[in-house]
Amino acid sequence: MSALSRVGPDLVPAARRVLLKRGPLLLFGALLLYLSVASSAFLSTANLLSSLTQAAPIAIVAFGLAVVVRGGGDDVVAGGIDLSIPASAALATAVISDQLANQGAGVLRALILATAAAVLVGAINVLLVTVIGLTSILSTLAMYATVVGVVRVYTANRRITVDDPTMLFVRDARPLGIPMPVWVMFAAAVAFWLLLHRSAFGMRLQAVGGNQEAAATSGIRPRPYIAASFLIAGVAAATAAVVLVARGSGSSPGIDERLLVDMVLATFVGSAFSRRNVVTVPGVMLGAILVALMSNGLILIRVDNSWIDGFKGVLILIVVAAAALQNRRRA
Amino acid sequence: MSATDRADGVKPGAWVAKYAFVAAFAGLFAFFALRTTTFLSASNLMNVLEGSMILLFVALAMTLVVSSGGIDLSVGIALDFGAWFVLIAMLEYDLAWPLAVIAGLLGGAVVGGLNAFLIVGLGVTPFLATLGTFFIGRSAQQIGTGGGGNVSFRGAPEGFQSLAGGAALGIPHELIIGAVVLAAFYVVLQRSTHGTRIHAMGLQDPAARVAGLRTRRYRTLVYVLSGATAAIGGILLSSSLRLYTPQAGFAYLLDAIAAVFIGASMHPRSRPNVLGTLVGVLFLGVVGNGLDLLGLDFNLKAALRGGILVVALALAFLVSRRGSAASASGD
Repeated sequence: MSALSRVGPDLVPAARRVLLKRGPLLLFGALLLYLSVASSAFLSTANLLSSLTQAAPIAIVAFGLAVVVRGGGDDVVAGGIDLSIPASAALATAVISDQLANQGAGVLRALILATAAAVLVGAINVLLVTVIGLTSILSTLAMYATVVGVVRVYTANRRITVDDPTMLFVRDARPLGIPMPVWVMFAAAVAFWLLLHRSAFGMRLQAVGGNQEAAATSGIRPRPYIAASFLIAGVAAATAAVVLVARGSGSSPGIDERLLVDMVLATFVGSAFSRRNVVTVPGVMLGAILVALMSNGLILIRVDNSWIDGFKGVLILIVVAAAALQNRRRA
Repeated sequence: MSATDRADGVKPGAWVAKYAFVAAFAGLFAFFALRTTTFLSASNLMNVLEGSMILLFVALAMTLVVSSGGIDLSVGIALDFGAWFVLIAMLEYDLAWPLAVIAGLLGGAVVGGLNAFLIVGLGVTPFLATLGTFFIGRSAQQIGTGGGGNVSFRGAPEGFQSLAGGAALGIPHELIIGAVVLAAFYVVLQRSTHGTRIHAMGLQDPAARVAGLRTRRYRTLVYVLSGATAAIGGILLSSSLRLYTPQAGFAYLLDAIAAVFIGASMHPRSRPNVLGTLVGVLFLGVVGNGLDLLGLDFNLKAALRGGILVVALALAFLVSRRGSAASASGD
């Protein structure tokens, strides 16, 4: 490093800093540029809107994850994380579909039951994390496995098709030319942004996540905040389920796994876009949109399915490595 | 291994919590013994032991990494690479089987090496680094097998097949290998200076560094060894099935993490430890075997297994809840 800075006193370190700081963004920019050159369909309105529609459930579950990460601190192993959100979303999707298709329930009842189911999963997480004292990665991973199993028993691992008019409306309606799921994503983004970044609750939650003892000393009891974060994550899962049911016209087995991958990817890629490398609502939404655009683009240019996971892995690593190197520099 | 070795930890009813997990283990054991005629037979108990061996290697790898303060989400990939490389080395490079076994171990070590590069070299957090490795490894297997086909080697050499299938003095080779590796891990991690240093690194990395520990070197070794250890499991899997199935290792990830933390909960200071991990592995082995014998529906089994895991973790952690919850994750 010192050898480098001798060569170009200011220019080289400055260039390095910019490259590291903006590296993830530049990389995504370059990839998107390449995709738009390689496939003429990539920049078409239809493809952009369909990418946004795909991003919607990813973004909404990732908002839920953002709340938990804020409250638990962003050390993934010791801090806050909720890997059970995608399983809760799958559960809520199954409940909505089953209620509408098989039980003859109205939309309101289906939504209430689905939200109750997802929040119940959150409540069990609360019990495991705040009362019993399991680390959140461990309890939510075990809950993920359990809930996925429960969904499989509940649906007999079969598809449930829904033709409820409200759900079809969410699927097909396009107010101002923008699909309804995208509106749901925007609405959720605004709600979560207000909650996390503009409310007293959000500030206290962040204080708890930053340093539990300091927060406790200044009169904030950490436990209720951590508990609330897991319950809110359940609500996010249920919201995502509405979009999932509408988009897929029902529930299909195995939606949880892809959602888990994309949620984690969107959240941590998203945090690399914030100034201090923390999880923020706008960052998470940007992350989800980029993940969806990339998946779509890679399919458009006919990249073999086998390579797509690898692309995502390399991308995760470049983004988080850039962020890590930047942090190290600052330290 | 007393959970209440400190005077301030003893509280009324603490002993109930202390033995809650042991009681649950015993209760489950008794339940399976009463409900099925075959569970208690010598040959079935042998099945449980043998069936636990692959998880044992993966869980030992995880114990090592968690002791050092990290986590390894790519242990399943290391297992896969071990299983894959050992067969390819014999099938396509005509190596003698002992050399092929070394190739398999190297396959796992390469996975660990990539993790070490990302974590030690670039400063990426273990969760995200090993998650990235997980995606890349998954993709690599898809690409390498032309979209996820099996690699079968029915005519594998006798010597190789006997690694998992053979026996010496009536004791299956698999158990002997397991016992040797277990003993080696116990000695290194619990009874040697190296182990103390790895635990020190896991508890207080900055302090360990200030005290002159070469944490970079140790951490690199930890991840490489973790990959190689998980690969032993893969090699045995290939030996017994004479078949490599891409991504078979993923199934062991959650169980390995659970076994390590069940084990950690039995330690006076909630640290991951080799013998505790063994108890966790045997517990999961008993649950899996018992549920199989009950002849339940596949989906129901998945749900029950998850539920039992959640309850077991909860019971196990009731023990360490008071007094030492802060050090549970080794942060």
